[in-house]
Amino acid sequence: MTRRPSDPPAADARAAEAGAADGAPAAVAGLPPAVELRGITKRFPGTLANDAVHLTVRRGEIHALMGENGAGKSTLMSVLYGMERPDAGSILIDGREVSFGSPGAAMAAGLGMVHQSFKLFDSLTVAENVVYRAEPRRFGLVDRAAARRRVRGLAAEHGLAVDPDARVGDLPVGLRQRVEILKLLHRGARTLILDEPTAVLTPAEADALFTVLRSLTARGRTVILVTHKLREVLEASDNVTVLRDGRVVARLRTADTSGAGIAAAMTGRDVELDRVHPAGTPGEVVLDVEGLSTAGVHDVRLSVRAGEIVGVAGVAGNGQSELVEALAGLRPVTAGRVALRGGDITRASATERRAKGLAYVPEDRHAVGTAPAASVADNLAMGHHRTALSSRRGLLPPSAVRAHARELVGRFGVKAATPDVPASSLSGGNLQKLLLGRELAHGAPLLLVEQPTRGVDIGAVQAIHDELIAYRDAGHAVLLVSAELSEIRGLADRILVMYEGRVTAAYDRPDADETALGLAMAGGAPAPAPGTPDTPAPDGD
Amino acid sequence: MAVDSTGVLAARAKGALRSPVTFSVVAGLVIGALFLVGTGADPLAAYGAVVTGSLGGDGIGATLTTGTSVLGLALALAIPLRAGLINLGGDGQLVLGGIAAAVTGLYSPLPAPLTVVLALLAGTAAGAAYAALAALCENRFGVPLLVSSLLLSYPATSFASYLVRHPLKEPGSSLPQTRRLPEGVALPAFGTSTVTAGLVLVLLAAAAYWFADRRTAVGYEIRMTGLNPRFAAYAGVERKGLTLRLMAVSGGLAGLVGSIGVLSFPYRFLDGSLTAPGYTWTGLTAALLAAAAPLGTVLAAFFFAVLQVGGLSMERTTEVPRELTQVLQAIVIVFLAARLRFPRPRRTRGEDRDPGAPEPPTPGSAVPGSAAQREAV
Ligand SMILES: Nc1ncnc2c1ncn2[C@@H]1O[C@H](COP(=O)(O)OP(=O)(O)OP(=O)(O)O)[C@@H](O)[C@H]1O
Ligand SMILES: [Mg+2]
Repeated sequence: MTRRPSDPPAADARAAEAGAADGAPAAVAGLPPAVELRGITKRFPGTLANDAVHLTVRRGEIHALMGENGAGKSTLMSVLYGMERPDAGSILIDGREVSFGSPGAAMAAGLGMVHQSFKLFDSLTVAENVVYRAEPRRFGLVDRAAARRRVRGLAAEHGLAVDPDARVGDLPVGLRQRVEILKLLHRGARTLILDEPTAVLTPAEADALFTVLRSLTARGRTVILVTHKLREVLEASDNVTVLRDGRVVARLRTADTSGAGIAAAMTGRDVELDRVHPAGTPGEVVLDVEGLSTAGVHDVRLSVRAGEIVGVAGVAGNGQSELVEALAGLRPVTAGRVALRGGDITRASATERRAKGLAYVPEDRHAVGTAPAASVADNLAMGHHRTALSSRRGLLPPSAVRAHARELVGRFGVKAATPDVPASSLSGGNLQKLLLGRELAHGAPLLLVEQPTRGVDIGAVQAIHDELIAYRDAGHAVLLVSAELSEIRGLADRILVMYEGRVTAAYDRPDADETALGLAMAGGAPAPAPGTPDTPAPDGD
Repeated sequence: MAVDSTGVLAARAKGALRSPVTFSVVAGLVIGALFLVGTGADPLAAYGAVVTGSLGGDGIGATLTTGTSVLGLALALAIPLRAGLINLGGDGQLVLGGIAAAVTGLYSPLPAPLTVVLALLAGTAAGAAYAALAALCENRFGVPLLVSSLLLSYPATSFASYLVRHPLKEPGSSLPQTRRLPEGVALPAFGTSTVTAGLVLVLLAAAAYWFADRRTAVGYEIRMTGLNPRFAAYAGVERKGLTLRLMAVSGGLAGLVGSIGVLSFPYRFLDGSLTAPGYTWTGLTAALLAAAAPLGTVLAAFFFAVLQVGGLSMERTTEVPRELTQVLQAIVIVFLAARLRFPRPRRTRGEDRDPGAPEPPTPGSAVPGSAAQREAV
């Protein structure tokens, strides 16, 4: 199979000649691949994370790496970046065999990685962050003016507009990511590795990122993109390598394939993409919120009925998280009233709210939703430890904790070697399944769920959506906050749009077309509210 | 299969060897040995003197007596530490427990055996109440526990000091001490040794801690709070209530150790006799070394009791001053602190110096280490 991209970057015509045969060693005549991994094997106790993986990335291409949660993508990138030592296999950069003992060595060889959580100093400026540990010096001192010039130059060259004097802490996520990329370019990275870069971006920020990536590859840089989003892969990448259970199962040319094809390669079965689920049959009101205000949220009125999913759409940072935290009892309410199943819970503690029938899947899995250092079993026990698992005397038998863990691990398909491994060893998507499974298992009348499928693979997205729909159909109320419009449109019976802390629009599902939602999310004129008495009016009365 | 199981064993062994605990202890011993060589002493002889002096027939009694206090305070500090709380007021709670027990022992009208029980209860209650005060300062007024517990410690020791110098002072004695407790108001001792039933009480407390930690819902909540306080709060663990209860238990144990100290030789409250040996500091060291795990805390406390008692006898039999053992203790803690801060030696690198947001746990971050820490020893 030729892996020559359909549209070879103009600035890299020489590389296009290098279209070597699959897995073949570096071409003798043409330019060798930017990155070549040969037979990489990486074993963790109980898991074969990478099994003789071959990966060839040509200079100047955007190469997508896909696969289900736990397929071994991040592990492979850690091996390439010198963070993990492979048990077998070799790494070639520009045709030369290398062995990295540390990311520093990988950087020196021209690799650069943008981690999913940014590693920037919030209190420093953009320029200071970019040059950190590679500062331009003058008389032994950091040359600030040169640093600023350097950032401006790099930014202009690559279309990465950002103010060098802005404090990083004040920037939105999309711009922070640019700072990360600038940092790598400043250090001379020729190959950029991005692990799920768009998980935290708004659609507009993601589009901007891909524009930047394409301009980088047009200048001969190379990008390896780890992502779960098919749309991005189809729009941006030149070639795709698909991993399953640590092995390469497909190498595809993006132009020759379709979303369904990649999904099938990933999961080994047919996946129905962007399914729209049948509507629910709402019953009585479970959650009733009147004029709720808290820091970042103003005068929100909403209600969720049993057997109904209410979706909250909006660009990240418009008060959705604050709203949910206030509902969960983790943030004080400054005004308004919250009722759960008819009882006032405005001042109730998180514990009391849970006891009254609330479960909650928070957005931040690592910092809030789990204790990564604790075992899988302990993480799954949380919230159940006072009810189902413990006796009246407050005993919590370890055997009950483990049995409970085994049951949930099985039911929700969490990939964990045993219930005793620390949750930090799970892949991102598997941690999410753990968290969701634990909260669904409460069977609480009200479920608050934020970003349920962020970082989750296509097959698992479908499974999670099915679980949420089943939960709704069992007569529970669900309040769903998601940055994925397709997710909200596929699941929610009613959709609210939040903008600058207020609910500015409300739609019944049939009325919610993408254009109207997108406009409302951007703060555009609110659409007229549909007539249902239960839906909140768009304007705070 | 054979290959697999040896592989697993090897991985385990590697994990244990690379655990910060083993590393710090070994590093402490090695550096201590270098010190000794540097001063011209024979490290083997010195360490041998420590071991025979503390575990031999002559020393074991003293080790167990010291061990009672060290273990008691190690538990007192480990229990809140399990939830990430640090009680720095052990001295004050210890002394208040001692003075409460002394007053009860001196003035209780009850028969001697009941007086002993009452004195133990009074000491425990005094320590618990005083530690709870520190917790209230945090819960109500936002004074960090670290600060409130430490600051409250000083008035307590001064108060006890005042009492034994003035109102409670033994008439005619030149020492700042109370009268000797009445005949029979003492903890039963094992044979003729100085080891008392206090050791049994402290061991029972350790067993209760082990049980609560592993097998109760509240122990689970404490562990999870220690591993990730935001996670615990999210799931509805009430932090203020937990802080109050943990501090009460912690202070209660410190007070119990104080009353045990008064109810055994010299059967009175002598100013400074409870705090001078530095049980609080040693106990904190032991608790930190064991990452507050129950069994580990017991072992670490025993280890430090051996060092403390063996150091004395080393000083007698060799030329090496007993301060060496304190140096050892300090080195262990310094290494431990350094290793806990940088848990991945192989991967220590610039990028790891995490700015801004907390670093998410990378897959595999110190898996063996953290497991070893949790189960410590
Ligand atoms: N340090 C570790 N110890 C034990 N197992 C590990 C460790 N790191 C990763 N694993 C396991 O290796 C497998 C591959 O994990 P990896 O993080 O590479 O998956 P991934 O493809 O990046 O998944 P995701 O899409 O969810 O991020 C998983 O089964 C994971 O549990
Ligand atoms: Mg990953």
